[in-house]
This record gives sequence, structure tokens and C-alpha cells, in this order.
Amino acid sequence: MTDEVGALVFDMGHYSIRAGYAGEDSPKIPRCCVCQAEIPSTYGVTEEVTNGGVGEPMDMDGGPAPQKKYFFDTNSLHVAKRGMEAVTFLKDGMIEDWDAFEKSLDYLYEKHIRSDPHLHPVLMSEVSWNTRAKREKLTELMFEKYNIPAFYLVKNAVLAAFANGRSTGLILDSGASQTSAVPVHDGYVLTQAIVQPHQRVQITKWGSGRFWCMGAAVVKIPLAGDFLTHQCKLVLEENNIELVPPYLIAAKDAVKDLEAPRWTRKSGLPEVTKSWHSYMVKEMLQDFQSTVLQVSDSPYDKESVENMPTVHYELPNGYNQDFGVERFHIPEGLFDPTTIKGASASTIGVAQVVTTSLGMCDIDVRPSLYGSVIVTGGNTLLQGFTDRLNRDLSAKTPPSMRLKIISSNANTERRYGAWIGGSILASLVQVYEVSPNLVLWMGKQGTFQQMWISKQEYDEGGKSQVDRKCP
Amino acid sequence: MSSGVTVSTLAKTVYEEVKKVKKYRYIIYHIKDEKVIDVESTGPREATYQEFLENLQNFKTDCRYCVFDFPAPLPAEVSSESMSVDRLVLMTCTRGTGHDNHVHVVQAMIIMQYSLSSFCKCKSVFNGEMCGRCPEAAKVKQKMLYSSSYDALKKALVGVYKYIQACDFEEVSQEAIEDAFRKGSK
Repeated sequence: MTDEVGALVFDMGHYSIRAGYAGEDSPKIPRCCVCQAEIPSTYGVTEEVTNGGVGEPMDMDGGPAPQKKYFFDTNSLHVAKRGMEAVTFLKDGMIEDWDAFEKSLDYLYEKHIRSDPHLHPVLMSEVSWNTRAKREKLTELMFEKYNIPAFYLVKNAVLAAFANGRSTGLILDSGASQTSAVPVHDGYVLTQAIVQPHQRVQITKWGSGRFWCMGAAVVKIPLAGDFLTHQCKLVLEENNIELVPPYLIAAKDAVKDLEAPRWTRKSGLPEVTKSWHSYMVKEMLQDFQSTVLQVSDSPYDKESVENMPTVHYELPNGYNQDFGVERFHIPEGLFDPTTIKGASASTIGVAQVVTTSLGMCDIDVRPSLYGSVIVTGGNTLLQGFTDRLNRDLSAKTPPSMRLKIISSNANTERRYGAWIGGSILASLVQVYEVSPNLVLWMGKQGTFQQMWISKQEYDEGGKSQVDRKCP
Repeated sequence: MSSGVTVSTLAKTVYEEVKKVKKYRYIIYHIKDEKVIDVESTGPREATYQEFLENLQNFKTDCRYCVFDFPAPLPAEVSSESMSVDRLVLMTCTRGTGHDNHVHVVQAMIIMQYSLSSFCKCKSVFNGEMCGRCPEAAKVKQKMLYSSSYDALKKALVGVYKYIQACDFEEVSQEAIEDAFRKGSK
């Protein structure tokens, strides 16, 4: 008996983890090329000595040693539990807490992928500044623990560039935790030096056989989605608007504009941790953020903005009002950090991130990078983001360069750009044949397969294969 | 990083024919069965760039690679002479023909990766037809396939003067290409 199995694609970000089967022709997934599972990358974790939590599933082996219990996915994360901290295993886009990472993979395999890990090759995305140690550790984990038949790591910037039809371009990725500019040339990130300082000079092969030395050119700033959420919080609190996440609310009455909200508090809630509460507030604010905020198309100016249409918004506790000036004032910090209270003078805005990165690239690549600035990431879906970027960048583009900003109009393509790219790439390898005892590579089924690190290669060459095969 | 798609022998042969014996004006390549880059069609020597563009528009949302043997006229003015001399030198290197500085037309090879994206400023060209449509997965797939295989073709075709990536017609317009020639870089 043979069966066709496809590759799996994982793409991790600070907002969510995207996972699913590669390729869009597979019968297991809907026709559209969207990942099947997206879970928040924040999860709940409780440490318990005995089973004393409220509403928790009984744990049979509740030994004397404190045991960590993990809660993944929105459904279990949203339930208030005593002592549950909301944390993430990522830091700076890289995996920090490996135990939790393993647990989340276990969860994804069990609940969403519903298949045996040893059947599916895995393609994972990584941030361009991922360290060598972490890449090797990840490779080791995937082969040793999950026993996968093949593995591949790709930089998410490369995937985003390919998904936008470019092999060369500057990828501006504004996600939850960071906004970064990453130059990609011929499918390679021009960055190695930043990650590995001892390899200051990275030799990159160039089309006609000439060799060039590339320095570090990846620039990132912490001004992104989470920053905006925080700014929203500050502004709302300044206006004495109480921030009550939905989990606290039992009932509410409709009130008029600007009136004090009338709502009753849910009773019998367990004592929740501060981190979990702020996560719930953050989720609430994320909705506010995506509904209300807009980037003004020219530098923020109070007078002109006052004439812009306002947006009516109702918070979960029933309080509602029209938001006018705030709509534009909050996101202005992305482009002009001098408007942020308490920001240091050296903080740079989004457009500057692009120009700084370009300035660090070899002068000969610059024209082609200016010619394809690719905008991706969930935060760029903010209304007016691309227009403002275009305006700010045009002002900074030297007259000899042609500036072109490429962004997909489809929301899913911009949010899941890297996942979709990975999915297509991995689907080029397509089909394997699974006989009862072993997984065979099917002759010349796909073109991408020669790129993967196969189990055999890993067994022979060890975890350092990832440095050789996945640049 | 690349997709592992290879370049067929025919693709290389036809390219050599253009380069050496000037058999065709342009070549359009496609990726066959997601595996091999192959020649899809060729244009006669008399074809102009405009005709080539019209031909290209038939593909609408499909991606293609093209090689065009571009007749780049040298500006008569002396003002930009330094640029044009520079280019001539480059051309002599790549083509190995014995033109001297008085020639007013140089041939340049350009290779274009042409992939339409939903982002297009040239609404007039498409009459908004493709802008209104929601980009489907198939389109992303094509874009992905072609851009990740571009490197393979670049390596296979030696002697190309200019590499151009285009997502809309504005980027392959004659002006844009001539503009690219004026800049010394790749």
C-alpha cells in the first residue's frame, strides 16, 4: 500500500505560528493557499505542585515536583486560569524557550496536522538574523526527536521576496515585534555578517562569476504592531478610558457616546496573573488598532488631521466614542519617532530603516534593491502604511534611482507571505511514496528535493549540514 | 537559494544562436512541468521591442523569462559621451565583435524575468481587468516558481548585459530599459 504525503511548512512569528501542509493541490487542504493552522505564539503556562486549579483538566500524574502545564491555541488560552502566565517562546524572532517550542510542535502535530512527524519533510522559516547555534539545535531537534525524513530552513525574507515574484529586492517586514529591512540578492540574504561577527566578510557569488564582499545590511527597529498596541494603551489611559478585556465582563448596557460604561463584572473568576491579563488587554487593543488607526499620508499635522473623518469604536465594556486625531497620532511614531514620548533621539522610523539598510549594501546592488522594495508583514496592513512609506521613501531616494514599492493587495498574502512562499517551494518536491516501513524519495518527482537535508545526510554529516545546505 | 529547476539544453542552444549568429530578436522561456526552463517561442530578427511587448501582453497573468537582443541607440550628444563609451567597452567585452566608437547602435542582451503581480500602476494597459481580480494562489505559485528559479537561468546564459525583474509593464517599457542601460550597474 502506498500513500502520498506532502511536506509541512512552519512559519513562526511573534503574533502567531502558521503551520500546515505544503502545496495547494493537496486534497487535505482547501483550494486556496492558506495554512490550516494559525495559533497565537503566546501560550499559557502554569506551574503546579498539586492539582488545585479551577476548571483545569485533572492531571493524573501530579507528582510533588512542580510541573509545567502548557495551554496552546486561542480556546484554552482565553480561559482564565489561576496562576497561568502568558508567555512566548520567541525572543527577537528566534526560539528562546526550547521546551515550550517542543510542546507547541507536539500540539500542532497532534491537533492540527494529525499525522506522524516521521512521514513529512519539514520546511521552516527563520528570521534573517537567526544564530548558527539555534539553527543547528533546531535541525537536531527535528531529526532526533521528530525523526522527520527531510528538513529545510529558509529565511523568511527570501520566501517573501519569491512570493512577490522577485529574487532580488529589499524586504521591509513589519510584524508584531519588529520592523526589519532585509536585502535579498538572487535568493540570498545579504546579511551573514550580522549574525556571525567572526565571518565579517561574507563572499557572495555574483551572476557573472565575480565575487563581492557583502557587509551587514539588515536593519531592524522595535517599532511595529506591539509598539502600536502599547501606544494605544497609553493614549486611551491618558483619556481616562478604562480598559476592560472581555473576560471580565458578564453583561453590559448600551450607553451613549462618551458616557461612562455600565457593565457588570463576571463573578467567580480565578485569580489571574498580570501577564495573562495584559495579554487579554493586548488582544482587545489589537482589534482597536486594526479598526481605528490610520497612517496619515503626509507628516502628522494636527490641523489637517482634525478635518479627517473620525471612526466610531465601542470597547468591550460598552464605552464608545469617535476617534479622530488619535487615529493618526498613534501610528505617526512608526514613521516619525520624534513624536513618541520618551523615545531616544537615535530611534529611526520605518522609511529610514529602508534607506539605512540600502546605504549599507554594495553600491552596485542598490539600483535593483530600490527598484523592488517589498512590503510584507501583518502590521503593514495598517491603513495608509504603504502610501506613507512611498511618500517618505520617494523623498529620500536619490534622483538616479527608480523607486518601486511592491506590496500584495491581498491581506492573506501579506500576513502569510512567508508561509505561502514556503508552501509553494516545499510543494515543488511534492510526492513521496510511503511503503509500510520506510519513506522513499520518489525518483525525480520534484525539483526542490535535492535542496533538502535528508535524514541520511543528517545521519552522515550531523547538524552542521544546515549551514551547508540552507544558506 | 534556488528551487532546483534546471535549464534545458535547447534553452541554451537557442540563446547561443541569438548571441552568436543573431538568429532571433527575442526568446521567451517558460518553466515546463515545474521542472525545466524551456523555450516557449522566439521572435524573428525584424521584430521590434513594441511587437515583443505586445506579444508579452498575451500572457497576462503568467510569468515568463525573456531574452531580448536590444538595439540601444547611442545618444548623439557629446554630453553623455562618457557613459556611452563605457557601455561600448562593456559590449565589446561581452560580444567580442570589432565595433569601434563610431558605431551608433550597439546590441545588448537583456534578460527579463517577467511576472505580473496584482500591484500594477498600468491600469490603462489592462483596463483594470486584472487589478480588480483577487490574486489567486496560482499566481503566487507562478511568481514563486519563476523568481526562485531565476538564478539557474542567470547562470546558464552567459554574456547577458542587463538583468531586469518586472512586475508590470511599466518596468519593461522601452524607457525603463534604456534608463537601466544608462546606469552602470547590473
